[in-house]
Amino acid sequence: MDLDSTPINANHWDIFCVVVDNYGDIGVTWRLAKQLAAEYAITVNLWVDDLKSFSHILPELDAGQAYQTFFGVNIIHWNDSSIEEYSPGQCLIEAFACEIPSSIIEGLTKLKQTNPIELPIWLNLEYLSAEDWVEGCHGLPSFQTNGLQKYFYLPGFTDKTGGLICEQNLFQLRDNWQSDDANKMALFNQLGLRGIEPNHHVISVFSYETPSLLGLIQSWQAEKSPIHVLIPKGRSLNSLTSILACSVDKLVAGQQFNLDNVTLHILPMTDQQGYDRLLWSCDFNIVRGEDSFLRAQWAAKPFIWHIYPQEDDYHLIKLEAFMQIYCDNLAPDLAKPWCELNRSFNQGNQIDTVNHWQKLEFNHLPLLQHAKTWPMTALNSADLATRLVQFVKSR
Amino acid sequence: MKTAHEIRPGNVIMLDGSPWVVQKTETTRSGRNAAIVKLKLKNLLLDSGTEQTFKGEDKLDDIILERLDCTYSYFADPMYVFMDEEYNQYDVEADNLGDAAAYIVDGMEDQCQVTFYNSKAISVELPVHIVREVIYTEPSARGDTSGKVMKPATITGGGTVTVADFVKVGDKIEIDTRTGEFKKRV
Repeated sequence: MDLDSTPINANHWDIFCVVVDNYGDIGVTWRLAKQLAAEYAITVNLWVDDLKSFSHILPELDAGQAYQTFFGVNIIHWNDSSIEEYSPGQCLIEAFACEIPSSIIEGLTKLKQTNPIELPIWLNLEYLSAEDWVEGCHGLPSFQTNGLQKYFYLPGFTDKTGGLICEQNLFQLRDNWQSDDANKMALFNQLGLRGIEPNHHVISVFSYETPSLLGLIQSWQAEKSPIHVLIPKGRSLNSLTSILACSVDKLVAGQQFNLDNVTLHILPMTDQQGYDRLLWSCDFNIVRGEDSFLRAQWAAKPFIWHIYPQEDDYHLIKLEAFMQIYCDNLAPDLAKPWCELNRSFNQGNQIDTVNHWQKLEFNHLPLLQHAKTWPMTALNSADLATRLVQFVKSR
Repeated sequence: MKTAHEIRPGNVIMLDGSPWVVQKTETTRSGRNAAIVKLKLKNLLLDSGTEQTFKGEDKLDDIILERLDCTYSYFADPMYVFMDEEYNQYDVEADNLGDAAAYIVDGMEDQCQVTFYNSKAISVELPVHIVREVIYTEPSARGDTSGKVMKPATITGGGTVTVADFVKVGDKIEIDTRTGEFKKRV
């Protein structure tokens, strides 16, 4: 996109994203930008500081191009030069508390003095958390010393929070996909995964490093029916060096390793739609961070959440908060092993992880049923984009 | 200037050209360890209230007002009465004490700082660390001595503090008044 040749749309939204890890922050902002453009016809400028990382989940993206448009979203390489082209729109979102460039803040401060009606609604879109305090902080103003007003927008699981990112037609697409096994088999074939039969158990893994993963895979080796473990190149594999036939850096997508009853498949990178379909197609998903965590819930399949580790084990508090609401309607004899499994996986406790996995039983029907009803419960009255648009309109 | 993380109940900050007394602070952790600070504020000119949220490192314009070292004297509902070294008495509205009210007890000897705006006592700052006696807590369930297992405890004055599992009734504990956190057994 060339800003000079693009008609100025004062109603446009700007989303600023700093890529902290490869897929998390950009994964969330990219989904939000696409949804705002597709469902609300909003012109979105997505400013990203690292297009190379972004291109892992949007393979069509040219990391060398400063301005590009995909799915109706203007993607701008955020650097000192491009930032001079910024013009205020209806909304300015700093994703995950990233620092908006000082030149933009100075410009907005001047605008407040000359033409305050033209000021965008300025939001800090925060990380998702199920903790109680989120309700009390969501939507609160944040008056800055420069005179500008910002708001904190906090995603969450209740109707007093900012909601959860979920496209309007997602559940219909998922149900259609899951209604016919031929879809998952076609996907596995397309990904080059060999030897998977429709009745085999398939587990996707997208975690951080943890000895728990090695423990699980070793326990699955002794299972009676075949298990296929699908892992993309990345951090999960660092935990499995003792069972891999070669070093992690020599692995290539499409490689597979037979370990007794387990077949380990190295996955190629995929775009977000492809990842959704992968989650829909597996019997169980191990996910991490925020974006894949939420998509695993929308997949309506049981999962383990490997939460982003924080100082002083604070992430365990966030994990407990989520497990409490996820298990609210779940029978205690099912909730307990599922929670214990998540706790031990996150604490890196190999033995407990394996024990709790075995208590849970593979394909436990009530857990699967819960995973199917959970998305509608979690979504409450409206998804994040719907609530966000309402929030901006009401300001 | 102070960061939002450094702001304490009793501080007065300038927002949009008005002085606001901080009645309550609540610090939570967002993803990737960033702090979010929620402030309950009262406008000293209009007597109106608001709640605002900040990043922990956001800079806030705290204003230096006249302060006096005082000790707590007595409660005359709805005012807390403090006294300086010369036995002058100052009334502070209970609302303006915010969370600090939970630590105010008869006979306390902690040196507090009373803040004045236009000659009126508007807030009180407690020392960062105070010592209070635990008057009720459940016995240690598992005999944990690591300090990692926590439980609620009621302290003198009726406030509740989350303490280490090894703390017993009658113990004196040190509390950080900025966060309400248990620091150690004294």
